[in-house]
Amino acid sequence: MSAPREITPRELRSDVRVRIEAAFRDAGVTGFLHAIDIETGREVAVRADEPVVLASVFKVPLLVAFHRQAADGLLDPTEPVTLRPEDRTIGPTGVSALLDEVRMSLRDLACLMITVSDNTAADAVLDRVGLDAVNATAAALGLPGTVVEGSGRDLLDMLLADAGATTLGEVWSWLDEPGVLGRLRALDPHRTSRSISREMTRLLGLIWRDEAAPPAECAAMRRLFGLQVWPHRLSSGFPYDDVVVSGKTGTLPTIRNEVGVVEYPDGGRYAVAVFTRSLLPIAVLPQADAVIGTAARLAVEWLRRP
Amino acid sequence: MNLVGHLNCFVVVAEELHFGHAAERLGMAQPPLSQRIQRLEKELGVRLFERSSRKVELTAPGRLLLEDAREILTRVDRVYALAERARLGEVGEVRAGLPSDLGGPIVAALIAAFRQHRPDLRLDLRETGTAEQIRALAEGALDAGIVRHPCDTRDLELGPMLGQPVGVLLPADSDLAASAEVHLADLTGHDLAVFPREEAPGTYDELLAACRRHGYAPPAVHEARHPQFALGLVLSGTAVALVARTDDVAGATWRPLLGEPLTWRTSCVWRRARDPEQARAIADFTAIANAVLPREAGMTPLDGAPVRRVVQRPASGFLA
Repeated sequence: MSAPREITPRELRSDVRVRIEAAFRDAGVTGFLHAIDIETGREVAVRADEPVVLASVFKVPLLVAFHRQAADGLLDPTEPVTLRPEDRTIGPTGVSALLDEVRMSLRDLACLMITVSDNTAADAVLDRVGLDAVNATAAALGLPGTVVEGSGRDLLDMLLADAGATTLGEVWSWLDEPGVLGRLRALDPHRTSRSISREMTRLLGLIWRDEAAPPAECAAMRRLFGLQVWPHRLSSGFPYDDVVVSGKTGTLPTIRNEVGVVEYPDGGRYAVAVFTRSLLPIAVLPQADAVIGTAARLAVEWLRRP
Repeated sequence: MNLVGHLNCFVVVAEELHFGHAAERLGMAQPPLSQRIQRLEKELGVRLFERSSRKVELTAPGRLLLEDAREILTRVDRVYALAERARLGEVGEVRAGLPSDLGGPIVAALIAAFRQHRPDLRLDLRETGTAEQIRALAEGALDAGIVRHPCDTRDLELGPMLGQPVGVLLPADSDLAASAEVHLADLTGHDLAVFPREEAPGTYDELLAACRRHGYAPPAVHEARHPQFALGLVLSGTAVALVARTDDVAGATWRPLLGEPLTWRTSCVWRRARDPEQARAIADFTAIANAVLPREAGMTPLDGAPVRRVVQRPASGFLA
C-alpha cells in the first residue's frame, strides 16, 4: 500500500477557490474576492484583480483621506457642519432620513457615513475633503485601481439620467427590462467609482497596521468599521461571540459588496473584500447578501489552517 | 442557347446603344454580337432594339426586359461569388443557440422558415442553455441566440421580449389533473422536475423563488435536461414538471397554473456584426425567430406587461 500523497498548498488553495466559486454560483451571483492574513500575507483570490463597482465602499477611501487631512491639520474633525433639509442626498439611513436641520461635527458625520452608510453625511464629508484629495490618497497608498468618480448625489443623478427615471423606485422596477442594466454607467466598473478586491484588502491592512494614517487616526477608523450595524453580509459568515467583524457595505441595483476585517481571539486578523453582482434584478435577495459571509468564511478558514 | 451569355450581350448593348462599343466592351467582334442579339430576339419572340444606320434604340419590350435581365445577371454573379466563397470555406452562415427544451416542431419550423428566406446561408443551430449562449456570444462562438431571462445581456442586442406561461405536467390519473387549473400550493409534497439550473440560473432561481412564494416548496428538485426525462419522472409518479404548454401524451396531462404565477420570458439576443452582410443575416434570423416563436411555441409579446413593484428596504437601499 502506498503512502497517502501529501496535498500541496497549491492544491488546497485551488480547492478553496472552487468551493468559493460554487458558493457564488449557488447564490446566483458573480463574485470577486480577496482575503489576506494581515500578519503573514497568505491570501485567497477569486477574480481579485478585476475592476469592481465600489458603490458605498467608496466611503472607505473617503474616510482614510478625511483622517489623513485631520492628522495633517488640514481640517478640524470637530468642526460643526449645518445640513439643511433641502440639501439631503437621498438614502434610507442616518441624516438622509431626517426631516429637519441638523448640526454636527465632521467626525460624527464620518461616523454615520460608515456605521449606517449615511449618504448625506458622506457627501458633506466629501465636500469638505474634496474628490481630488480622495483619489490622491488612494494613489499615495499604492491603490492605482481605486478611483472615486463623484459623490452619492452625482451617482444618483447619473443613475436616474441613464435609466430615464425620476425616482430610484422606477429604476429598480425597470431593471429587468431588456437593455436597461447595460445602460446604467453606475453599474459599469469602467465608468463609475471603482476598485479591485486586492486593493481594498491592502487598504484595510494599512488601516489595521496603523500605516494608512497616524495610529490614533487608524484606531478611530477601526472603531467606526466595528460599529457598522449591518448583520446580513460579512458578519453573517462569522456567528461567533468572540470574533470581531468590522466592515463597510456597498449596495446598488444588482451590486452587493462588503469589505472588512475579521479578528479572532488568538490574534488572527484577516482583511476580506467581497464584491458581487447578481443575475436577478431583485432588491431583496437574502442569499446574495449571505454568500458574502459564506465566501469570506471559506477564505478565512482556509487562511487559518496551519 | 446560353441564355445568361445572351442576356449579358443584351444588357451591354442596351447600355452602350452602339454595337461597336458594346462588342469592344465584351471583347468580341461585332458580327457575332449582332448574331447573338438576333438569336435572343428570335428566342424571346420580340424585337429588342430598333436599328437604323445612325443609331440603336431600345424597343418598348426591350426596355421592359432590361430590368429583369440585369437582375438575373446580378443573381448569377451572386451564385458565382457564393460558390467562390464556399470553395474557400467562407459560405455565409448564422450560428445560433437554442434552448434544449424548445421542442422538435419549433426547431423544424425555424429551420424551414430560414431556409425559405435565406437559401444562400447556412444555419448552424446549437442546442445550448442561456448561460452557455451568453458565454459563446461574448467569445464570438455564436452570432445569435434565443435565451430565457433574466440573464446578463450587457453588450448584446435584444429582440422583443416574448412571454410563455409555465404550467404543470401531471400524471393523467392524478387528482390534480381533474381540475382545469392547478394552484402552485396544491403541488405541495410533490418533487419537482425542471430544467438544470446551469442552463439558465436566473430563470431557475426566479422559478423556484416564485414556487416558494406561492406556497410550493418542493421536497426535492430533479434537474431534467431533456423534456423526455422530465416526462419519465412524471409518468412514474416521481415528480411533477413545470414546463411550457405541451401536448398531452398517454399518461401525462398539462394543466395551466391558477393566476399565471410563472412566465418564461424569452428573446433573441445577438452580437452587433461589423460586416453588413453578416448583420443582415443575423437580422433575418432574429426576424424569423420572432415570427416563428409566437406562432409555434405559443409565446406572446410582453410589451404591455405591468411594471414590477419594488419596495426598498434600508439594507438594500441606494448606496447602503
